[in-house]
Amino acid sequence: MTSRPGYAQLQDVLLDPEFPALDLALRRGWHVDRDAGAWYLLLTDAQDHLEAFYRRYGCELIHRSDGYFYLLPTGDQLPRRQLAVGDMIVGQALALLYLAPASVERGGLVTREQLVEQLVAVLGTDTLIGAFLPRKRRIDERVAHKLVRAKVTEAVRRLAGLGFVDLLEGDQLRLRTALLRFAEPVRGLAAPAEALARLVASGEVAMAVDGEGAGEGEGEGEGEGEGEGEGEGEGEGEGEGEGEGEGEGEGEGEGEGEGEGEVVVEDDEEPEV
Amino acid sequence: MVGSSRPRRRRRRPGITAGPVQAPPRDPDRVIAGVAERRLAIGLDTLDLCFVVALYLRAERAQLASFTEAQLEDVFAQVCAVVEPDADQVKKRGTHAIGRLREQRMLARVDGQGVVRTGEYALSRLATGIVEFFLDEDVLTRESLTVLTQTLRVGLQGILDAARRADGAPAWHAGVVAPLRVTITELVAGIERRQRGLDLQQEDFQAEIRRLLEADWFGAVDRCQALLESTSATLRELNEILLRDSSQLQALLHDIQDLAIAAGAADAEAAALRLMDQVDRIAAWGAARQRAWSEYFQYVHRYLRDVVRLDPTRALTQRLREQLASEAGRSFSLTVAGAPPFRLLRTVLPPRERPPVTRPRAPREREPEPDTGVDPQEVLEGQVRGALDGGAVALSAVTAEVTAALVESERFVAAGRVAHTVAQLTRATAARVRPWVAVGGDLEIEDWALAAPAARGGDR
Repeated sequence: MTSRPGYAQLQDVLLDPEFPALDLALRRGWHVDRDAGAWYLLLTDAQDHLEAFYRRYGCELIHRSDGYFYLLPTGDQLPRRQLAVGDMIVGQALALLYLAPASVERGGLVTREQLVEQLVAVLGTDTLIGAFLPRKRRIDERVAHKLVRAKVTEAVRRLAGLGFVDLLEGDQLRLRTALLRFAEPVRGLAAPAEALARLVASGEVAMAVDGEGAGEGEGEGEGEGEGEGEGEGEGEGEGEGEGEGEGEGEGEGEGEGEGEGEVVVEDDEEPEV
Repeated sequence: MVGSSRPRRRRRRPGITAGPVQAPPRDPDRVIAGVAERRLAIGLDTLDLCFVVALYLRAERAQLASFTEAQLEDVFAQVCAVVEPDADQVKKRGTHAIGRLREQRMLARVDGQGVVRTGEYALSRLATGIVEFFLDEDVLTRESLTVLTQTLRVGLQGILDAARRADGAPAWHAGVVAPLRVTITELVAGIERRQRGLDLQQEDFQAEIRRLLEADWFGAVDRCQALLESTSATLRELNEILLRDSSQLQALLHDIQDLAIAAGAADAEAAALRLMDQVDRIAAWGAARQRAWSEYFQYVHRYLRDVVRLDPTRALTQRLREQLASEAGRSFSLTVAGAPPFRLLRTVLPPRERPPVTRPRAPREREPEPDTGVDPQEVLEGQVRGALDGGAVALSAVTAEVTAALVESERFVAAGRVAHTVAQLTRATAARVRPWVAVGGDLEIEDWALAAPAARGGDR
């Protein structure tokens, strides 16, 4: 038992004043790292109690040796969702920045401009535009660049909502340890494909659906038939609804942005549970 | 009293403001406009800068207060040989370089002989400051801070003694105000200058850590940690010294301020107050830098432990880059919990039922009812008739009698009504020019003659 004397029982954990906010954050996909201070301490001290507690909800409280916690739904009692392709691309670029010595000089602070530079350096401009605007036919180069920058900004905002980065004043981002989750498939000595298969089997990742763009929709379903798309229904043209569960899905999308993005829906036919 | 660290409230009287001690507060707009008007500018290329640095070092080594023209040319030739060995016409370029430095007030002629003989030149304060900035000599160290704070303490103690002895404005100025403004301020400014030097050095350390990691990823761990540890230790020591010594300095300044207030020496009080603010700022710097460095220290330590040590060959970065560049980077997606936020329903008030539109059942117009009240005209007629029957033969007599009981404000209106009633009840005759007759109070009327009572029977 790793629990400190104050957490002799689960009841002690639940009575901790920090617990309600922490619990809500974990259920919404927040990653808690050492920078979270009291939350991280609480999770560390009450890990045994909380692992058993969340298992009853059909999810695992994962603790990575890099120093962060998160909740991984494995059953159908707690809703789960997959990150959009755009978020995955931006997340991997941020993880690269996290690993780079250049960000050490500034204590883990980077600018959005550096992020876009990193994306361009790794992917190239054309691939980057193709990844974020997959179904655009003919589009002005300047408009395309603007759309890509807007989508990168949106992706960063969503990743910040999951505890991967902090949005600071101006253009700055603080990189957080949880970004290393994006590097999981390539961390071990095994071939990336094998590592990916292992992660898929454990429910950590899911393979992207063919034809899925880099839009903002995040499919979501939940057992109780109350889905809530959190993605943005962007725009004009080909964009179409957000992912939702069966029945009374509720779009919470923030319909902003440039418009022409294709919204990625997790699975049009049946929400993932 | 001296050296005590008791907490004391700083007294700031109206009109006493804190600011830089050397100069009174200046209007930024006016200063900027003045600089723009004079078209001040500084432009130094690398060769000029090296020339200034060489002059500074030469003066320092040879204990020179000034340079002759030959010495200037000699130094420039040496600099040119190092920086631009292939340069032609070194002497001519040296003349231009000296001219540029003079125009920008880096070099000043100090002999005042004009064309009488060759001049002597000295580096100005501007040039010295630039060189010292680049040479990074003024970095705060434990030794320099200890010496500076001790000197400050001794100086303030002397000023406090002078303040106790001061018995007039000249004594206050010579013994307290002037030393506070010059000696002590210079010492405090020296600490602040060295603080800025240490800030720059920390930035260099951070860049150095980056360079070490880029050059020798895993091999740089120990050197990075040593660099972090040394800077942390330096900051910790400096902060301790600042915390300890700043309270003593503040106590001394408080004592000087108290004496100045008691003696009514406003200048001394203001100077002490400003120095207190500067000492506060110095102490706050230490705490802020230590806190900031502590965060950076933790971040880099975590980085070294979690990233560098776990990936000694830096393979992870390469593999992640390849993953992102390939289709594999777009083929999978992380799973995260996605519970929707709680729905917070609004409190809904039931709509209020509006009453149906109806028409009043009762008839809108009511039947007239007989008024049983007293008719004022009848009352007036009775009064007028009484007056006429009493033998009044003039309107003024009737009016005076009828309005006698009324208040002043009602008598004018009543007089008109009396005249009207009299005209209905009897026959009145009026001369061409009717006389004005007072009827009591301030009221006057044009009088009528009335028929005699015997003749009125037929009139009624």
